[in-house]
Amino acid sequence: MNRIVEAYVGEYASGKSECALNRALELLRRQEVMQPVILVDLDTVEPVYTLRPIREELRGLGLDVIAWATRDTVGLGEAGSGWPPAARWVLRRSGSCVLDIGYGVKGAQSLNLLEGAWSDPDLRILAVLNLGRPMTGSYECMLAYVRELGPVHGLINNSHLGDDTTIAFIQEGARTVAEVAEKLKLPLTATCADARFKERLGEKDVCGRPIRYLQRFMPRAFW
Amino acid sequence: MPEKPITGEKRAFMTGNEVVAWACLAAQADIMYGYPITPQNEIMHYWTRLAPKYEKKFLQTEDEISAGFTTVGGVLAGARAFTGTGGPGNVLMQEAISMAEMMRIPTVMFIQQRGGPSTATVIYSQQEVTLTTYGGNGEGYRIVYSTASHQDLFDYTIKAFNAAWKYRFPTFILGDGYQAKMRESLMLYDPEARGITMVPAEPLVGLPGTPGVDRDPAHLRNTYNTEEELLALIKGYQAEYDRIAPELAEHEAYDCADAEVIILSHGVVSRSARIAGRELREKGMKVGYFRPITLRPFPDAAIRRAVAKAKKLLVVESSEGQFLKLCQQSLCGLPLPIETLLKPGMGITSEEIVAKLSAWRWG
Repeated sequence: MNRIVEAYVGEYASGKSECALNRALELLRRQEVMQPVILVDLDTVEPVYTLRPIREELRGLGLDVIAWATRDTVGLGEAGSGWPPAARWVLRRSGSCVLDIGYGVKGAQSLNLLEGAWSDPDLRILAVLNLGRPMTGSYECMLAYVRELGPVHGLINNSHLGDDTTIAFIQEGARTVAEVAEKLKLPLTATCADARFKERLGEKDVCGRPIRYLQRFMPRAFW
Repeated sequence: MPEKPITGEKRAFMTGNEVVAWACLAAQADIMYGYPITPQNEIMHYWTRLAPKYEKKFLQTEDEISAGFTTVGGVLAGARAFTGTGGPGNVLMQEAISMAEMMRIPTVMFIQQRGGPSTATVIYSQQEVTLTTYGGNGEGYRIVYSTASHQDLFDYTIKAFNAAWKYRFPTFILGDGYQAKMRESLMLYDPEARGITMVPAEPLVGLPGTPGVDRDPAHLRNTYNTEEELLALIKGYQAEYDRIAPELAEHEAYDCADAEVIILSHGVVSRSARIAGRELREKGMKVGYFRPITLRPFPDAAIRRAVAKAKKLLVVESSEGQFLKLCQQSLCGLPLPIETLLKPGMGITSEEIVAKLSAWRWG
């Protein structure tokens, strides 16, 4: 049985949560992956788009979800927020973990609070990158951004423009992220794309990396 | 010279607060003064991330009273200056905004509305309409654009700086927590590439030459000694505001010509209203849609034209009637019943509007 532990980090609104929760659902279906699959909301930075509003929906799909319920939170926005206590110790539990991390360097640093993170042999930190985000809107910007993020084990191309996404844009993102990956000697782990592109995009992106198709949950997770 | 933040056109996927920061760069703003408050924080965050690269400035003040007045001061010194706030911060800035009205100081302010009164909720509402349009001690000589999309935020930010510096009235972009935080794509562009020239910013004080000899004195006052002086000044401001109002007023309207019912809404709620209007049209109901883009000045002539043949109006907003009052004032004297869908602090979906209108007896 493979124990998978993945942390999704990256720029604000890069698609970390969508990529993380879809990955968790994918792991749920894979028999060689150690179960249960625990999805953990570790975002203390942005109180608005979180797993909170869709927690029960995701639990209904079979995931073990550690996230606040809105009624249990205090001080959202103004006073910051903390983790549910169960989140801090999640790596001590058996099973696989997908960690949804807050944005930017500060978000990535929250791994310092996770018990056993830096000694966990299975932990893989994946940076989610969207060429449509201005702060990662070019090869140079993306390279500089990933360099300041801290430890990263792989890159995810999640280039999109919301409803205005095109296949050409996804592929341009794949090429750009692949160049950044090559420069940093990191793997381009996968491209993520909205499931509506599945028929036309196929199994692999223009760089030959696997495509993970996303069912969109996060539009329902607003506030 | 720092590089241009945007050359030509580029499609991007952003949050509304980020759009504001980029639009201010595109509009050649010089400095932001600000104090943190949800839901406008990322305007500051992104401005401060971008500012060093493009040789722009930022000052975090000790509170919103100071942020309002430093914005006024920055403009007086000739900077294309702006600030952003929401909720209680908007309340605290009213004194500075009133001063800007009185002294004709072209400040630009971004209001991301949140719930009220007081601290209330931190994320969404349309309850700062009255405050932003008429909040100060005075007559509300302000220009207020109520945006509905990220493209609006970008376009009207550029327009706001130009309106402020052309007409010399404090100018506002009235957004809300949803627009601040939601993500969608938009086209970023260099205004010059689209033939938009930025009205130059210039110092209002400390001008060269001897006052009274080489130039008129820059005698900016917010204090008047007699009632008569004030009366004359305000009458003059009113006349000027009335004169420019038709140039400034903007609106969006669909299907109003033969509509029996017209939905009136503004800001992000108008997105739901527009979808609802279309759906009901497809079902054969004669529904029109009217959205004032400027809440000050209100598009009086356009709304009166739009409702000329309507039998009934529906006002939809996320407040308990602040926008309704503006509509009633504008439509005063017309024998048109106005129904409402008022949800202070709550978002409104197109389904709710469709349900409300579907339940009516038509014809």
